[in-house]
Amino acid sequence: MAGRGGGRGRRMMTFSVEAVGINRGDSLPPSIQQPTPLFPVMEQKPLPLTVGEEEEYLLALKQEFRGAMKSLPCFIQPAAAHRDVERYSDKYHSTEQTDALTDWTPDWKRLPKELRVKKPSRGGVSAAVSRSDKLQSGQKKKKVKEKEEVLLKLETLQKKEEGQSSEDEEEEGEEKKKKQEEEEAEGEEEYDEEEFEEETDYVMSYFDNGEEFGGDSDDNMDEAIY
Amino acid sequence: MTAQEVRLCGLLLREHFGEVVEKVGTHLLKGGAQNLRTIIHETGISLDLVKKSLCVLVQHGACVFRSGRKGAGSPAEYQTCCDRILRILRYPRYIYTAKTLYGDTGELIIEELLQRGHMTMSGTIKTVADRLTQNMEEGRSMDYSEVSSAFFRLVETHFLQRCPPLAGAEPKDSSTPAAPAPPGTPAAPVSTAPPTPESFPDCYKVPHVTLVGRGKRQLASEDGEDQRNAKKAKMDSQTHGDEGICWQVNFERFHLHFRDQAIISAVANKLDQTSSEIVRTMLRMSEVTTSPTATCTKPLSANEIFRSLPTSYNIPRPILDQYLTLLIDDPMEFVGKAGESGGGMYVVNMHRALANLARATLESVVQERFGSRSARIFRLLLRKRHLEQKQVEDFAMIPAKEAKDMLYTLLSQNLVQLQEIPKTPDYAPSRTFYLYTVNQLPTARMLLQNCYKTVANLVERRLFESKESKRLLEKSQRIEAILASLQASGAEPEQLTEVEEMITAPEKQQLDALRLHINKLDSAENQVDETIFLLESYINSTASTS
Repeated sequence: MAGRGGGRGRRMMTFSVEAVGINRGDSLPPSIQQPTPLFPVMEQKPLPLTVGEEEEYLLALKQEFRGAMKSLPCFIQPAAAHRDVERYSDKYHSTEQTDALTDWTPDWKRLPKELRVKKPSRGGVSAAVSRSDKLQSGQKKKKVKEKEEVLLKLETLQKKEEGQSSEDEEEEGEEKKKKQEEEEAEGEEEYDEEEFEEETDYVMSYFDNGEEFGGDSDDNMDEAIY
Repeated sequence: MTAQEVRLCGLLLREHFGEVVEKVGTHLLKGGAQNLRTIIHETGISLDLVKKSLCVLVQHGACVFRSGRKGAGSPAEYQTCCDRILRILRYPRYIYTAKTLYGDTGELIIEELLQRGHMTMSGTIKTVADRLTQNMEEGRSMDYSEVSSAFFRLVETHFLQRCPPLAGAEPKDSSTPAAPAPPGTPAAPVSTAPPTPESFPDCYKVPHVTLVGRGKRQLASEDGEDQRNAKKAKMDSQTHGDEGICWQVNFERFHLHFRDQAIISAVANKLDQTSSEIVRTMLRMSEVTTSPTATCTKPLSANEIFRSLPTSYNIPRPILDQYLTLLIDDPMEFVGKAGESGGGMYVVNMHRALANLARATLESVVQERFGSRSARIFRLLLRKRHLEQKQVEDFAMIPAKEAKDMLYTLLSQNLVQLQEIPKTPDYAPSRTFYLYTVNQLPTARMLLQNCYKTVANLVERRLFESKESKRLLEKSQRIEAILASLQASGAEPEQLTEVEEMITAPEKQQLDALRLHINKLDSAENQVDETIFLLESYINSTASTS
């Protein structure tokens, strides 16, 4: 009721224009017909960052911290790592990453019971738990037996290649090698990932995917089994 | 939890813990307390991964769990809070402070604890000793006792604290608390707020640990052997007498330290070095006697201050009195007078100092975004509280048209508010006063949210830049690795230059530009975090008093 009397003209607003300061005859700024631009032009440029020894040290600390976190067991990556092109070496590379420091046991007393992961999963959180868990010893023996089978196969292949000139020597050597491999197998049980169940003929650390310069590792292939 | 905070927390979790933890964490932030099944069902991630993520989050203190609300026997509920995750931005500052106060050993202890969340004392000492030994010359190694003494000092000054034992969280665990003397609350009902670590009396008690030895140097050998050595070192897990007692970094103590530093540097900037030394002495004297949320320190007499001043400054007694008078009269009100006994009793006003520092931050924000005249209007409104349009123009001595323009810009950015005071019960426009005003606390909250948004944008831009040049980065990393291996095996310079030329000149330029951008973005995040700290401290201090 109060506003109707004064608002005959087209310029009617809910508040008194004089009080806010728009006098008669002043031109209002043009009304905006579209959303404001995404990156509006800034009249004032921002100040430059402070540079100094302390800032550089803080920067270095931050980047190192980030890098270190990426290699810790806390950094959980989903199992599938996408590469732009599938490469033959992918089969062999994935174990190297999961090995490094995955034996991290949280203090289970501080966590609710339902979070305990018992089976040795690929992430390897409980790899250390399985080490001390006696239930796993049965699995260990199975895996050692599988390994022995694979190694036996290897021996026979080697025999065929190198000829059977010194059979006796080889048999003795075989037994020694078996024992050595058993010890190695126990020491290498942390490498018990699914890769070994895939019957690889080559030992992990000797694999070279040809991407390194100076690919002279081909010579080691025949002597890879020690 | 505002949208900006959740977004920033998600990005921080992604960078430090991976995408799986990010999904679980943001889901918990948005949804409140949930149990395991709900999380699995709603995020669609597999059971194993969700369990691992929750372990990681609890380990780092980002998530707390308690027994379900539906009574005993219902599954545990997990809850995440933004604050702890946002602290990740401040980690470099914590590590640097530890370095300035306690040297390299202290720095590494804090860094290890921040990386792992919480660890036992013996574990920390061993890892830190090993790391220090790595960097020393051949044949020398770091003794565990040196690292232990640094650890003790950190606990003494409360920079490290024990993780609170889980009394009442898991009903089955109540019989085996980690700390020797459990506090008297095992039979109490589950309280709604999680107990702070400080509510337990053994918070800062160092356990008796038998730890004798020196750091082990990791031999540079084949990777396989290296890992086997590391595993053997873990196999011989001797018990050191402190199993189950975990330590974590006490962020609140670091924050008190930062606050003190901010006050001292403000005094140094406004007055001079000597006054800042006096304020530093006063703050040092009241470190242990003042509670963290106190409005001001306990009163200190001028005689005490005089005795505790560092002798290198050689300030005679009358000069000290003059400086104190100057500090009291300063409009920033850092120091106040509380009485006349003992030569004058003086206090440092914490809350007022924080409020003034926040006000200076707000003013500088307005100045940098809108110009010095708008800043003048803003300061005027802060001082005079409520002013009409005409009065603003008069007091600020700015022509009417421009003052109007600036006021409307500030109003549209919500830095300035309009208050209506009606003369008549119907708010008739011609008969109402319209007053402009600035409220410091809401404006500070708004700017804090802007800061969170800024940091989130910086992080996203940095991730975008790295993703764009991913191939180039990978190529350069590979070439560096090749170079390193060649140099280690003693190659000729021609081979090295041949390898270096695999990166063409424009690629090198691109790499340099990329590095520069990433460094700038990272540095900007650090500096925005300083503003975040100031505003947060101010908001928390006013929230606790009001």
